[in-house]
Amino acid sequence: MIEIKNLNIHIKDNHILKDVNVTFPEKQITCIIGPSGCGKTTLLRTLNRLIDSVEGVRMDGQVLVDGQDIIHSGAEITELRRKIGLVSQRPCPLPMSIFDNVAYGCRINKMFKNRRQLIYHVQKNLKAVGLLEEVKGRIRTPAARLSIGQQQRLCLARSLAVQPDYILADEATSALDPISAKTVEDLFVKLKADYSIIMVTHTLRQALRIADNVVFMYLGEVVETGPANQVFNNPQHELTQKYLTGAFS
Amino acid sequence: MRKSRIIKDKVAHGTMFALTIIAILMVVVIAIGLYLKSAPVLENKSLWSLLFSSEWRPMKGEFGFLPFIMGTIWVTILAILIALPISLLTAIYLTEYSKPVVRKFVFPALDILAALPSVIYGVWGVLVIVPWISQHVAPHFVEFSTGYTVLAAGIVLGVMVIPLLVSLFIEVFSSVPTDLREASLALGATRWQTTKKVVIRKTLPGILASTVLAISRAMGETIAVLMVCGCVIGIPKGILDACYPIPALIANNYGEMLSMPFYESALMFAALILFVVVLVFNLLSRIVLYRLENAEK
Repeated sequence: MIEIKNLNIHIKDNHILKDVNVTFPEKQITCIIGPSGCGKTTLLRTLNRLIDSVEGVRMDGQVLVDGQDIIHSGAEITELRRKIGLVSQRPCPLPMSIFDNVAYGCRINKMFKNRRQLIYHVQKNLKAVGLLEEVKGRIRTPAARLSIGQQQRLCLARSLAVQPDYILADEATSALDPISAKTVEDLFVKLKADYSIIMVTHTLRQALRIADNVVFMYLGEVVETGPANQVFNNPQHELTQKYLTGAFS
Repeated sequence: MRKSRIIKDKVAHGTMFALTIIAILMVVVIAIGLYLKSAPVLENKSLWSLLFSSEWRPMKGEFGFLPFIMGTIWVTILAILIALPISLLTAIYLTEYSKPVVRKFVFPALDILAALPSVIYGVWGVLVIVPWISQHVAPHFVEFSTGYTVLAAGIVLGVMVIPLLVSLFIEVFSSVPTDLREASLALGATRWQTTKKVVIRKTLPGILASTVLAISRAMGETIAVLMVCGCVIGIPKGILDACYPIPALIANNYGEMLSMPFYESALMFAALILFVVVLVFNLLSRIVLYRLENAEK
């Protein structure tokens, strides 16, 4: 479980996240929704500490991943990142073959001693995202040759290959064509049996379709959070109501 | 009104096209000029003896360029061996590890270093590197050395090339999208692993192209090398021997003793060698680059 307590994030003089308190339950899809610039992506990038690379960032508060605070204490960032997979907005295959893309994380983390295990593991993960059949016979060709939808599924397979507990998805379907987007979306629904998925999404309809929980953010604050049907059908906060009815986006 | 706008555009287009053609033609003109000038010596001596003989007696009409060619090769290789790892690691540090504050100070410093006239590097070589080699390095290996050696030339040239290479590498590394680095980091890779396996891999063609540019630059560098290489005719047997690279030969001798038959022609032939080598080298690197880039796609 990921628990965020009183998280504040400043970047230089800007107060980006304001006293955020959220819990992300296990084995469910939690969608973070809200208008552009409300801090959704910042929140997501805090969870795997990719935010560290931003110049002039200051964090305080607590982010507990499986009970361990990842903001303070000499948290092992590389191990944290292995545990939390990321699928970004635009698919970003590494400059290597399809096979090596999936094997990359396993090799980095020295997961397998023998080659046969690695090959089996790569195939298993390609299969999990429905790519194995599609790339048959060209698994050793550069990943950049895949279509953009296939690339995104490859990125998902790459994340799954390091056996994470959580998957972060940052508008993972927004750059894809409708059919690929649907495929990826369905995958997420399938994957929630084994993984806790935290998803930033720009499209309300997507959240409506797949979210178990919803976090609504506005101007760096968490306005409302709870089970999806509750937030969508009976929003407590006026801002949430306005957002859901399309008064602003 | 509308017409004049279109005419202006056409004139601008035409002018720029003409200027571009002129710039490219210059290379061809230089090549032809060098060839015509070196024709007399080429007609009288075999190409083989010019390139592979070490007999250099202009008075007797013997022009063997091997010592000069070897001098150029020795100095260039040594310079690149020194400059490449230093530049690569510096550029990696600056793009992948350093804070923006560091970059703010280092980038202008690099530009200044790159803009220093080469004679200053030459003077630095004479005042610092040559005595250091003569007093501290050479005594461990040979009985006596003036310090004016391949090593001195290689160091001076290497140091000269570093700012150029670092700037080129920084440019190359900066072209890697942040997303790509993050994709690797997000899988639990360290920054060094990311650099090694993603950034360098992605930029291999660029690294190669930059290195070729630096080598071409190093091959043609004249004054700084001339000041510290010793200018002794002979094939160097080690880095503590003096040498005499081609550019130094031309700069030292052109304009003098041109009354000697074929001498001017021979020197022009030396220039032609340099020209052809740099040209072929660049063409080869283009081919390799093309292959590498296509392998990725």
